Amino acid sequence: MSEVEVRDLTVEYQTSVGWLPAVAGASLDLRAGQITGLVGESGSGKSTLALSLLNAVPAPGRIAGGTIEVAGVGDLTRLGGKQLRKARGGAIGYVFQASQNSLNPLKTIGRQLLDLGRSHEVGDLRALIARAKDLANRMGLDGDRVLDSYQHELSGGMRQRVGIVFALVLNAKVLILDEPTTALDMLSQASVLDIVRKVHDENQLSTLIITHDIGAISEIADRLAVMYGGRIVEDGPLLDVLRRPTHPYTKALIGATARITGDVDGARALPGRPPDLTTVARAGCVFRDRCPFAVEVCAQTEPELETFESGRRRACHVEPSTVLTGPVLTGTTGTPAAVGEPA
Amino acid sequence: MIQARGITRTYQTHGSFTGDRTVRALRGVDFTLPDGGAVSFIGESGCGKTTLGKILTGLETFDGGELVVDGVELSKLRPRQREKYFRRIQMIHQDPYSALNPTRTVEATLGDPLRMRAREKAAAGEQAGSWRERAAELLTLVGLEPTAVLPKYPHQLSGGQRQRVVIARALTVDPTVLIADEAVSMIDVSMRLGILSLLRDLRARLGISLVFITHDVATARYVGDGGELHVIYRGEVVERGLTDEVILSPVHPYTQCLLSAVPVMRGLEEPGPDRTAPTAALDERTPTPGCLFQPRCPFAGAQCAEKHPVLVPFGLDAAGQGEAAAAEDGSGHVHACFYPESRRVVGVEVGAASA
Repeated sequence: MSEVEVRDLTVEYQTSVGWLPAVAGASLDLRAGQITGLVGESGSGKSTLALSLLNAVPAPGRIAGGTIEVAGVGDLTRLGGKQLRKARGGAIGYVFQASQNSLNPLKTIGRQLLDLGRSHEVGDLRALIARAKDLANRMGLDGDRVLDSYQHELSGGMRQRVGIVFALVLNAKVLILDEPTTALDMLSQASVLDIVRKVHDENQLSTLIITHDIGAISEIADRLAVMYGGRIVEDGPLLDVLRRPTHPYTKALIGATARITGDVDGARALPGRPPDLTTVARAGCVFRDRCPFAVEVCAQTEPELETFESGRRRACHVEPSTVLTGPVLTGTTGTPAAVGEPA
Repeated sequence: MIQARGITRTYQTHGSFTGDRTVRALRGVDFTLPDGGAVSFIGESGCGKTTLGKILTGLETFDGGELVVDGVELSKLRPRQREKYFRRIQMIHQDPYSALNPTRTVEATLGDPLRMRAREKAAAGEQAGSWRERAAELLTLVGLEPTAVLPKYPHQLSGGQRQRVVIARALTVDPTVLIADEAVSMIDVSMRLGILSLLRDLRARLGISLVFITHDVATARYVGDGGELHVIYRGEVVERGLTDEVILSPVHPYTQCLLSAVPVMRGLEEPGPDRTAPTAALDERTPTPGCLFQPRCPFAGAQCAEKHPVLVPFGLDAAGQGEAAAAEDGSGHVHACFYPESRRVVGVEVGAASA
């Protein structure tokens, strides 16, 4: 029962040293009716993965391998031209990163909505407007006012909601949100998350939320996938992953989150910095440089993402129990070694 | 030591369509920042917390109240004379991506203020070492490897590293106070704690005091002991107390709404039983004679729309002549609400989390 099945997806970018993978052999399912959270640091490839779900990786990037099966559409990587344009926004609704800034400043929201309708050859534009108003009202916006507004007349949280209206107005069944709460303050973040959960349930969507904030996602997601260095390193039901993280990176991410409860001194920032296209390890595990559990084999063979118990997958050579009971990363701050400036 | 007494700032906007509008960004903010201490301000966008930070660094003027730095009332001085006080108060900006000049290396960025500082020291007859040594010292202090970072341009550094460079730059002029305005909100969650504990370290090691401005209450817990938390709403402090105390037993409904908005890490935490949310969106246009939060308050009562509450300790009537008491007592937990009630809104750690 997966609405979207990503298999062995590899996305490469052309650089001065050749084609380098930003996403390397990622497999991920978006299950029908569930919210999947995809977390990772900057440069982990999560936004690239999300864009490839629209087959819209910008040049100099390309999808180099793998398939993306979307229910009712087929393999997105093989679509082109008109079919692809129809799928984008039609079957798959996408709320862009900084969607606050993805609206046209010169047109009212309503006019942009009509543009969307025309480009998707919607016959009944009145019905489209009515549906948009209805969606906006259900998200706590004043539909009439919003459609007559320019983007600068709306607050950040309101623009984010307008982004969701645009993504859903054509009855998309798959909703992808890229960093929906970044740049919003706490109160707006809480209300946007609330609304995402509500429209997800009301419209029976399959939702993917991409974020670097494991705290925000844990509030509403059903499943969690953790991405590092272009690989998915762990996934499973959210509550289970948070309680029993079996990948050292997941464990470190949870430990590095500033929380309102718990021991202030127990929290540790991740040492080192996340790899980018050029610094990611070519052989062995991509996380081994920052991993407190790394053993010899980690430098030689890359661990496969394997199911180790029902519903849970991980890509790590170290036993799950060792990671669970072992230490969180022992990074301290203030010392140069902790920052791990690559030599 | 910085003392602020009743700082106000009002902006006049002249809109071409909407007509003139008066925005009261700050409506009388008091606080005391002891040497080596920490004061945090939390509030949502548009509550005036950034304006306050700018006033403290001299980037913005205030039109009422008094700012006292080390016993000197700044409004009595000429602008030129104020400079040396503001020099010792340095700002760490929100966005490390735009706070650094992209065409200058880290060495150039740190070099200018350091050479200036060395000339000043020499003029004052103090011992001034080489600025290069000082640059290396500062970078080491903020947790960067000098030889690796000095020749780099900002785009070659990660967000967290850039923010460390910004902090090192603030330290070049030997400040006694750092103002961190949303210093971690643009940084990856995984790197935030590193910056926060650096700020905490600077407090402990150099005795630098810290004004921490944020919308994320959780981060305010990490700036160190003895920090005081001010909850600011539409330019007015509505609750104040020790950080942990305010987080654990908030009494003002606005504080409770802010704390309820902090995401609960399900699996490790359970939502607080009294979680609440504002009943309406922020609307600054409608003037309210009573409590500013009343139109959005889930617990508003009869008095709230008519009278304006003042800061009082728990147990006193917010309508009373509490102003004097509140201004005097800097350490206690005070609030500005007619119907204060402690509610449990913050997530509770699940017992099994540590196992």
